[in-house]
Amino acid sequence: MSEKAERLVNLTVALLETRRPLTFTDIKRRTGFYGQRDHESGRRMFERDKDDLRRLGVPVVVEDLAFGEDQGYRVVRRDYEFPDIDLTPEEVTALAVAVHLTGGEGTRLALTKLLARAPDPAPLENAPPVQVRIAADAVDAVASAVVTRTALRFTYRTADGRLGERRVDPYAVVQRRGSWYLVAHDHERAALRAFRLDRIQGRPRTVGEPDAFRTPADLDVASAVSGPEVAGIEVDLAVDPTARWAVESRGGSWTGQQVDGRPVLRVAGLDEDRDLAWLLGLAPGVRVLAPARVADKVAAGLRAVLEVHDAEPVQETT
Amino acid sequence: MSATQEVARMLTLVPWLLQRPGATLAETAEAFGVAPQAIRRDLGHLDFCGLPGLGGGDLFEVTLVGDRVVVSMADELRRPLRPTPAEALRLVLTVDAVADVLGEDLPALRSAVTKVREAVGIPEDVADVLEDDPNERELIAEALRDGRRVRLSYQGRGDDAPVTREVDPWTFHVQHGVWYLQGYDHGVGERRTFRLDRAADVEVLAVSITQPAPDSLPPPTYAPAPDDPQVVLELTASARWIEEALTVDEVVERADGGALITFRTDTPRWIARLVLMAAGGAEVRSPDALREDVVRLARAAHPDS
Repeated sequence: MSEKAERLVNLTVALLETRRPLTFTDIKRRTGFYGQRDHESGRRMFERDKDDLRRLGVPVVVEDLAFGEDQGYRVVRRDYEFPDIDLTPEEVTALAVAVHLTGGEGTRLALTKLLARAPDPAPLENAPPVQVRIAADAVDAVASAVVTRTALRFTYRTADGRLGERRVDPYAVVQRRGSWYLVAHDHERAALRAFRLDRIQGRPRTVGEPDAFRTPADLDVASAVSGPEVAGIEVDLAVDPTARWAVESRGGSWTGQQVDGRPVLRVAGLDEDRDLAWLLGLAPGVRVLAPARVADKVAAGLRAVLEVHDAEPVQETT
Repeated sequence: MSATQEVARMLTLVPWLLQRPGATLAETAEAFGVAPQAIRRDLGHLDFCGLPGLGGGDLFEVTLVGDRVVVSMADELRRPLRPTPAEALRLVLTVDAVADVLGEDLPALRSAVTKVREAVGIPEDVADVLEDDPNERELIAEALRDGRRVRLSYQGRGDDAPVTREVDPWTFHVQHGVWYLQGYDHGVGERRTFRLDRAADVEVLAVSITQPAPDSLPPPTYAPAPDDPQVVLELTASARWIEEALTVDEVVERADGGALITFRTDTPRWIARLVLMAAGGAEVRSPDALREDVVRLARAAHPDS
């Protein structure tokens, strides 16, 4: 392993230092590696090393040489090097604190790259009493496509369990309420969609070349992930004291009426399908009084729960 | 640690040390988030790196005097390698999330995030973290800053109704978009974690905290204890969202897109609610007591009862 690490560093240096592309023979001479007696196995080792470097982000380019049939390799310095950022010592401290507060999972090395040539941090009195976890590793599978603007295809499972193939232009990744979304233009549906990253099955594959699309100037990622606006309805609920808090936190307010000794609260802006689960989860502390259509849907949902558990709505008496 | 990860670190270590001649092993290790031995090993490799093939060699010079490091003759690697798209995206999202959380507590972070976004070419419309800003946050932040006790009304997952608590606040955790307060709960005489979206009526009391925060606090999410009851649910494809709300031990996929999931819980009452919410898409396979609870709740709520 140690030999491999040294080989990869030396290969990087050799490819960076050259002005003209190096042939495989040049590379052997410069680095002292890949000189196996069996030419083919030396060549294969070089190919693997080159692929490893590319995975690290070292931009190894291959060029056809004007003379001979061989190919040449090199790394263009300006594509390799990260330009200096003009950060103040306070900003350096702030970035270090931010990465520290998140535990630094998978971001420590990237930060060190950024700060390699930055000023030393300013002293900080107290770290803020906050810890943040965002699990950004979820974005790795789509990161490259988003940054290089390359189309993607993947298998996607919708919220109701249907599987389908999607082909998209990936515009943005967004985290909202702890879930990661890919905001993208769906080719087949010819519309903007938000895909939950944890519902993408397997690894997304890129399609075609980078820079294949432009992100619309008026893209609003926040509204893309909050879903289509729904025409909310008003629902009247008879509410037990135990559930009152939950209903009030959804904006429910007392109508001044009582039914069977329970106060009636009115909640506006509910979606009769999407919020059905919320109403079911509050049962039996909450009973829907109106509209009847919603009360029926809740009753049907409860019946379905009883059916899968082999139970009747009313306990049989023996 | 694979050889390629070592290489990624070494390619950054060289410019970092070129910029800081005489840095100590300890501070270098700290900056890279690794043990000093790892840095020592890297330096051992780098001593053999450079351009060995050119007339007797043109290698880097690594000098270690005591615990101070000097790297020279390594100008080929004077600047760091660009972060990969995945690294850049993770970093931007991470620092952005913290900037959202801290608000104005760390103003330099806002301008730093803008500069980082520009340097790595990831504007806000490409990657963003949309944090909910809980109403109660400001008041609790004030209490944290001033070391004052808070009173709040709180309904835990297992509670029937909100209970008033008095808490010495220790720290905020923002875990995957959810805000938690950790602190000392005077009612139970122990550390407790409170989800801010389940807290209401927060009041900062005119009392200083009496229980100082310990040096380190565990993360706030529920970690199943070995003696918590095990639950088995059968889910249809349309109820797979339940799985996303839990920490699941085992998933057996069904051909029709459904699944059999196994997990442990300390709040069976909350699991019963999830099963009701699935409207028939979830069946409790075990334990029987939970199955009976679900049936009892559904019967009590059904209009024919």
